Amino acid sequence: MPRSKVLHQATVTAHEAAGRGFRRLVLRAPELASDARPGQFVMLRVSASIDPILARPFGISAVIRRQAIELYYRVVGKGTALLSTVERGAMLSLQGPLGNGFPEPDRDALPILVAGGSGFPPLLFFAARLASKPVVFLGARNKDCLVPATAIKCCRSHARKVYITTDDGSAGKAGFVTDALTAFLDGSRERDRAVIYSCGPRAMMAAVSKVAADRNVPSYVSMEERMACGLGVCMGCSVAVKAGGYKRVCKEGPVFDARVIDWSEHVVLPVPNGKQVK
Amino acid sequence: MPIKIKTQPDLSVSLAGIRLKNPVLTASGTFGYGEEFKDVVDLNRLGGVIVKGVSLKAIKGNPPPRIWETPAGMLNAIGLENPGVDVFLSDKLPYLRRFDTAVLVNIFGYSLEDYVAVAERLEGVPGIAGLEVNISCPNVKAGGIVFGTNVKASFSLLSALRKATKLPLFAKLSPNVTDITEFARAAEDAGCDGLSLINTLLGMAIDVRCRKPRLANCTGGLSGPAIRPVAVRMVWQAARAVSIPIIGMGGILTAEDALEFILAGATAVAVGTANFVNPHATEDVAEGISAFLAEEHIGSVRELIGQARIP
Ligand SMILES: Cc1cc2nc3c(=O)[nH]c(=O)nc-3n(C[C@H](O)[C@H](O)[C@H](O)COP(=O)(O)OP(=O)(O)OC[C@H]3O[C@@H](n4cnc5c(N)ncnc54)[C@H](O)[C@@H]3O)c2cc1C
Ligand SMILES: Cc1cc2nc3c(=O)[nH]c(=O)nc-3n(C[C@H](O)[C@H](O)[C@H](O)COP(=O)(O)O)c2cc1C
Ligand code: FES
Repeated sequence: MPRSKVLHQATVTAHEAAGRGFRRLVLRAPELASDARPGQFVMLRVSASIDPILARPFGISAVIRRQAIELYYRVVGKGTALLSTVERGAMLSLQGPLGNGFPEPDRDALPILVAGGSGFPPLLFFAARLASKPVVFLGARNKDCLVPATAIKCCRSHARKVYITTDDGSAGKAGFVTDALTAFLDGSRERDRAVIYSCGPRAMMAAVSKVAADRNVPSYVSMEERMACGLGVCMGCSVAVKAGGYKRVCKEGPVFDARVIDWSEHVVLPVPNGKQVK
Repeated sequence: MPIKIKTQPDLSVSLAGIRLKNPVLTASGTFGYGEEFKDVVDLNRLGGVIVKGVSLKAIKGNPPPRIWETPAGMLNAIGLENPGVDVFLSDKLPYLRRFDTAVLVNIFGYSLEDYVAVAERLEGVPGIAGLEVNISCPNVKAGGIVFGTNVKASFSLLSALRKATKLPLFAKLSPNVTDITEFARAAEDAGCDGLSLINTLLGMAIDVRCRKPRLANCTGGLSGPAIRPVAVRMVWQAARAVSIPIIGMGGILTAEDALEFILAGATAVAVGTANFVNPHATEDVAEGISAFLAEEHIGSVRELIGQARIP
């Protein structure tokens, strides 16, 4: 039994390499699983030790038979390296579901999901739950950074169409995901029914928001920031908003109307190879 | 057969006249205004809640990144983001009043006049047990630390506040000083009813690849288990220097950690960063202290205050 609505002890029921550097983790946590909505996340303690002391945020990529949640993650640092050694049957403590989740589109809307880099997990969950089949764009720097094959397969089964782009052309179409999105929007008769949801590197989401705003298409972004509490109390996960001041990614987010975010704010988050990008 | 009477150990303490049902409080800035934990912690089970620092006007805080994890701890440079005292009174305090727990309001300002104005706004408001004065925030340039690292400045600030309020006054001391006892005595001389220590230790982390500080603010306050030995030492030193009660904090995760502070001389303890790691930490610490007392056949937690056996 969980001690409260958001704090859970979960059993690892599957944990394996998922290809292209990702790992897939399935955690049995029935209360969490039945409450979770697409776009929400969990704060997972990767070990019982106090180094690292803070829990790590991960988006929920699927709910399995209302019993378990599925996560996809990349080993990028100390916490995820430790997590990768956790074996099936182990217990992990986590909080969730946290955050607001994606707003549901109108019944006659055309949902467009845009995932960059490791931003696909919450969009997978969303695609599976959407009433009308979405159009999905998956972008990456190169083939090795692309969404794992199992996840692409999952997208295909829920989507009307899946477009794949890589910056260097090593898989799918060469170019940025925003180029493919622009071409699609500008050639589509359904543009005025489109609603865009994106999750990925900040620069990509900023570009997607601009493409959307220029065409008056509503768009939502799922933001990432470093987090300590996930409960809205530490004020550590703030992002700057255009109206002035900050909003908390864990509480008012992680999903925001893209027009609200102040994209000019300089933000640095660690990336997989240990190098920093803007 | 002799009948074994099982009595619950007595966890209550009196903190400068404030009766606490147990010595466990929440550290300012790590528990919001209580409501954020409504699904997680039963506030009726806590000795008290020390709320996030409030100032006269709303403050939007520092640019991100605001936090960075370090071994067994974290750096933060939140910049005291808060909605201001009026919003606190209208939107936050009513929730806390519903519970049987002591509410201590953490206050700060950018000038002596600011601090006094906040204290005056809180004077006579029902449901406030006392004020904790943050003279030690390392993350705002003008206020806080300027007072907290200068004995004369902290004495005049605390004296002015003493005149402005009848509420029990706790000075939250900075560990970023050479001799904590000077500041402890200055607070006592200024008429404070108690002390609260420690606030975070000033720290810094650098990303070696882009050669930039990890925090947008460059420096930040270190909290968590990493600072606990420093905090225990300072509580012990301060307790020997003054006779007013102390709220001890710094890296408390478990009941055993809390008991270290109590043995060093703290009357109550506050749990901070641990709330992020285990949202039940406050309740767990209180329950753990009770279990410890039962195990050791100690009737009341008060018997342990300042009882470290110093050779
Ligand atoms: C709402 C949300 C959802 C996320 N969903 C996923 C997901 O589904 N799959 C996935 O692989 N990753 C996801 N991330 C990123 C993931 O949390 C980080 O990759 C992870 O915390 C890195 O931990 P580490 O100890 O391995 O890295 P370290 O670099 O050692 O971490 C050091 C500190 O930085 C923080 N940090 C590092 N990278 C990030 C980041 N990108 N975002 C936020 N904080 C970071 C860590 O939490 C930690 O406090 C998500 C982040 C957020 C905020
Ligand atoms: C994110 C964060 C925010 C904080 N905000 C405040 C604050 O507003 N006022 C204050 O007096 N102390 C603040 N503190 C300091 C804590 O109350 C406490 O003194 C310190 O963190 C040491 O305790 P800990 O190691 O248990 O966290 C904050 C600490 C953290 C980690
Ligand atoms: S992570 Fe603490 S407020 Fe969002």
